[in-house]
Amino acid sequence: MKEKLMPLASAVKLIKDDMLIAMGGNGMHRNPLMFSLALTQQPLKNLKICGAAPGIAADVMMASGQADTAYFGFFGLENEAGLAPGLRQAMEGEHPRAKAMEGS
Amino acid sequence: MAQRPEFFQVVKSPFDGTEVVCVKALVPDYSIIHVQEADIYGNCRILGPNYQDALLARAAKKTIITTERIVGTYRMQEEPKLTTIPHMLVEAVVELPGGAGHGICWPEHPEVDWGTHKQYQKAVKANEVPQFAAKMLEGRL
Repeated sequence: MKEKLMPLASAVKLIKDDMLIAMGGNGMHRNPLMFSLALTQQPLKNLKICGAAPGIAADVMMASGQADTAYFGFFGLENEAGLAPGLRQAMEGEHPRAKAMEGS
Repeated sequence: MAQRPEFFQVVKSPFDGTEVVCVKALVPDYSIIHVQEADIYGNCRILGPNYQDALLARAAKKTIITTERIVGTYRMQEEPKLTTIPHMLVEAVVELPGGAGHGICWPEHPEVDWGTHKQYQKAVKANEVPQFAAKMLEGRL
């Protein structure tokens, strides 16, 4: 087995433009949120996000404008946290900047 | 099915000719998963619900793990069936306590930090998520 420990700053550099990224967790539960927040500090674009029930970590990528597509069954934060504000903002209005592929 | 031909197609079964629906698989370049326990090789334990995370790690070409804590490999060897994600699926392990941010990660973070979540909602409305992120990450990047 190979040692794979690395700092957050090195791990975020593995992600490149146009990649399809699956975010773990569900709603507000056990999301890789700090990793997502670290991605917003990188000059990334055209990311695609997928998951059965992506939550807050995926929402950050929609809010930052770095992701342009989301493939999902359900995308929300659930309970008191309600709708995913970043996804909503990205796909609302006359000129949405992201595509939501529900049921894909 | 008619709305999403790029994902759903009907084909004839090679076994008996009946019509079956094929669903195109998504193959993520990376899955990113936050876990409670991982060793330095990427063997991971999730405490509480797994959701779809074991599947995401297997569907993706490679997985990046962030973990609340690094544990000794002997823990995985003692109870191998509790390993949700095995080392060969993992490319990177980041020790990142509080990696679920203001969200929930049982047992250390049993509730959402609603004050911070309100700040996030405001940041989304103001198009200031990278600035919000920089504040959350201070001293951690």
